Amino acid sequence: MTVGTASSSQVDGYAAALLDIARTEPDSVATVDEMYRAASGLAGNAELVDVLGDPRVPAERKQGIIADLLGSRASNVTVAAVSFLVAAGQSTHLADIAGRLAELAADAEGEVVAEVRSATELSDEQVARLTSALEKKTGKKIQVKVVVDQSVIGGVVAKVGDTVLDGSVQHRFTELREQWG
Amino acid sequence: MYLAWNLILAAEESTDSTEATESGGIDLLLPAPEELIAGIIAFAIIFLVVWKYALPAFKETLQARQDAIKGELAAAEQSKEEAASLLDDYRAQIAAAKEEANQIVADAREAGDAVKADIVARAESEAEAIKARANEEVVAERARVADELKRQVADLSIDVAERVVGSSMNAGQQRDLVDRYIDELGGVQ
Repeated sequence: MTVGTASSSQVDGYAAALLDIARTEPDSVATVDEMYRAASGLAGNAELVDVLGDPRVPAERKQGIIADLLGSRASNVTVAAVSFLVAAGQSTHLADIAGRLAELAADAEGEVVAEVRSATELSDEQVARLTSALEKKTGKKIQVKVVVDQSVIGGVVAKVGDTVLDGSVQHRFTELREQWG
Repeated sequence: MYLAWNLILAAEESTDSTEATESGGIDLLLPAPEELIAGIIAFAIIFLVVWKYALPAFKETLQARQDAIKGELAAAEQSKEEAASLLDDYRAQIAAAKEEANQIVADAREAGDAVKADIVARAESEAEAIKARANEEVVAERARVADELKRQVADLSIDVAERVVGSSMNAGQQRDLVDRYIDELGGVQ
């Protein structure tokens, strides 16, 4: 078991495994999206990631935490997949694996993943408009993956490949902090 | 001359004595005339010999002695002059040495004063530099503290603003922000 480190090939391997699991589900697209949101959501909480990656915390306790956090909002296969990653010592690479999973799923559809972080859930209409705007901006077919992240405060941060389009309130505060600092 | 005169007087007295002897016994005391004449002739011969040979040799000896003494006196005088000159030289050398010693002492004192002045000036300069550096450090530290304080105040203000904004934004405002972002991204004015 590898704890705390993962090569690119390992990330690709775990992401491919999760995609294969998702494809066994009736709605593989929704399952991939759920896995992505679940893994990204956990990865966004640094304290939680530390606990899940702490070898002194018993595995049963970690599984309990994951079940408590995702149980009521995710399918069993998603909870099982995330628990598998944590048990494999990949809790610190949840975000990488989730991102790679989304990329692999999008590649299969001939699309590019846009990771969108927002303080609140986006409506379907907003996701559709955002997808259209990003496709217009990048000239690519975009598959939007929304992650709720309270640190954004307000607005949206969209990341397409290496390009970050930051329209968040947090970004405005960061700019303000740099100007004053 | 004195001796000849005495001989003449003695002859006269002898004559007188002869006459007295003849006349009354004085003649017993006076030499006979022929003895007197012989004595005078012998005296003259001795006198001439002495005058002719002994006296020049005596004068020559005296002159040589006189010349020798004069030479010795001249040599002594020359030695005296040389000694005096040497003494003057020694005195001059001593005076020069004293003057040189005094000059050395004066130079040393002057050099010492210069070194002292240089040390004092350098110490004062270093003290001024230290003081200036300290002042600069104080000013820099004050500015750094002011900047740090300003940054901390800014950070605290922004932290407070983030919390206030984050907690005060309602769903409608969140939606408006997202919509505005999407519009800007899509180029909608």
